Amino acid sequence: MTDRLRVPRVAGVVLLVALALALPVAVADRRFYAFIVGITFLHVLWTAGMNLLSGFTGLIPLMYAGLAGIGAYVTVNLVMSAGVSFWLAMPLGAVAAAVVGVVLGLPALRLRGFYFTLSSLVIQSALTLLFVYFPRFTQGDTGISQIPAPTVTLPGLGTAALTGVWFEETLAVAAMLAVLVVWRVTRSRWGAYLVAIREDDVLTEALGIDVTRFRVIAFFISSLLAGMGGAFYAHYVAFVSPRSFDVLTSLNIWLMVAFGGRGTIAGPIVGAVILAPIPYLLQDLYLYKDIIYGVLIVLVTVFLPAGVWGSLLPRLRARLGAAAPARVPGKEFV
Amino acid sequence: MTALLEARGLMKRFGGVWALRDVDLRQEATETLGMIGPNGSGKTTFINAVTGHLALDAGDVLLDGERVSGRPTHRIAQAGMVRTYQAVRVYGRFPVDENLRIASLPHYERVGRRQPLEGVEELLARLGLADKRQAPAGSLTLFEQRRLELAMRLLARPKLLMLDEPVAGLNPGEIREMIAVLKELRRTCALFVIEHTMKVIMELADRVIVLVSGEKIADGAPAAILKDDNVIRQYLGSVRAFRP
Repeated sequence: MTDRLRVPRVAGVVLLVALALALPVAVADRRFYAFIVGITFLHVLWTAGMNLLSGFTGLIPLMYAGLAGIGAYVTVNLVMSAGVSFWLAMPLGAVAAAVVGVVLGLPALRLRGFYFTLSSLVIQSALTLLFVYFPRFTQGDTGISQIPAPTVTLPGLGTAALTGVWFEETLAVAAMLAVLVVWRVTRSRWGAYLVAIREDDVLTEALGIDVTRFRVIAFFISSLLAGMGGAFYAHYVAFVSPRSFDVLTSLNIWLMVAFGGRGTIAGPIVGAVILAPIPYLLQDLYLYKDIIYGVLIVLVTVFLPAGVWGSLLPRLRARLGAAAPARVPGKEFV
Repeated sequence: MTALLEARGLMKRFGGVWALRDVDLRQEATETLGMIGPNGSGKTTFINAVTGHLALDAGDVLLDGERVSGRPTHRIAQAGMVRTYQAVRVYGRFPVDENLRIASLPHYERVGRRQPLEGVEELLARLGLADKRQAPAGSLTLFEQRRLELAMRLLARPKLLMLDEPVAGLNPGEIREMIAVLKELRRTCALFVIEHTMKVIMELADRVIVLVSGEKIADGAPAAILKDDNVIRQYLGSVRAFRP
């Protein structure tokens, strides 16, 4: 049925991977652009995790940035205070974020849709306060600066800091892994269950599907990616403060997912690639940059309610003569 | 002999109102049970309680001799007791095929090997939905959606299907067809039917339970229930009731 899409899809993925790996090298001499590329990869990673919950499971976790913060602070403290290697600290930070994410996701077992979003907003505010009021671990509003770059030890070549183009390439790989994980999960039986839960959790449970279990799994994976992104962010930017992980960051990541097309794999990538660089590219237009950002979002919401990719995909399929997708993206703005 | 479904002393109260008051009930695997009663008499609460949608205040529910009360809904569904809802419930934005695929996955997962949609063509032919497989479920007529609902439940291979007003909202012609569908379905699994439409109960049920204010006031063959003075006075009503 979708055989006719196979070749264009594989070609597209190969092209995208090649582009992602080539881009940091292409702009390696201009650090400013290289940094924007790195930040964009980080947001691709974050949107993949956000999409698993907001796009596929139908729950908007506005504490997402807070979870990224937990991943970041745990990792940074392990590295800077305990001297643990980043490559051990980062997974630990991600797991810490995932565990906290599962616990904080428990209200979702009772609250649906908008009500869950509200409760997650409160949780995000509490996490932000937590970051401010535990300066022992976060240095409060001052923030932690001079976070060292991760080091890599290669046999025979000695130890070197992961900097410059190598860091961007690492972020590219991390982002691709995140997208791959979300793709695998959503194309599996679990993915079918998550979408079923999004559409009608009562019916799904009545069909004999363990709704609670799959919600928890979705929260775990999503929060794991949030924390992983947070750890990379901290060591890439070399500075974190509670502001880095406040509710605006959550909203921004969610916006990128909705902008690109929630509930699709490529949509959030499109959203991150278009929206993440804007604040940096438009720095000279600082008076208008928020207006431009806002207008762009309003235009897409009004004219492409399923997101840029979410709206183009059906047309693309029609042009290629493939059948309609089995899963229709949502009408409501999830 | 163990009954397929056995309810012992079911109790459920909402504030000061008894929704279920010491309800006992047995259903054999070979029979179709009907349940009738006025609005608010606790019929839907009964289904909610035995299928785990609602926690009981007291009482036990046994399915095939095994205690299932206290288990979560999905476990009870997996054990073989599956329900439908008074208001039709399908994944409206998904095609019929996707609805069926999701419904068949849990069973497929348990038994392995089988293809998720094995036997689905025959099932759809039986239910008259064979040419609707690509249509979004929400675009189907109510009658078609009700049949899709049945197809989805059957893919879970239930022992007992609890139907909450299966003909609600259907026109007389459709009701006749639905009765035929349900009659045929009795060969696949046991049915428990809540209905206000007496025609459905009279044609399908081997035995009828009458619930009034959460209490079971009668339990017997449909013909006997129709003549039961207590049932007539409390539920069915009769011209005789107005005579001195």
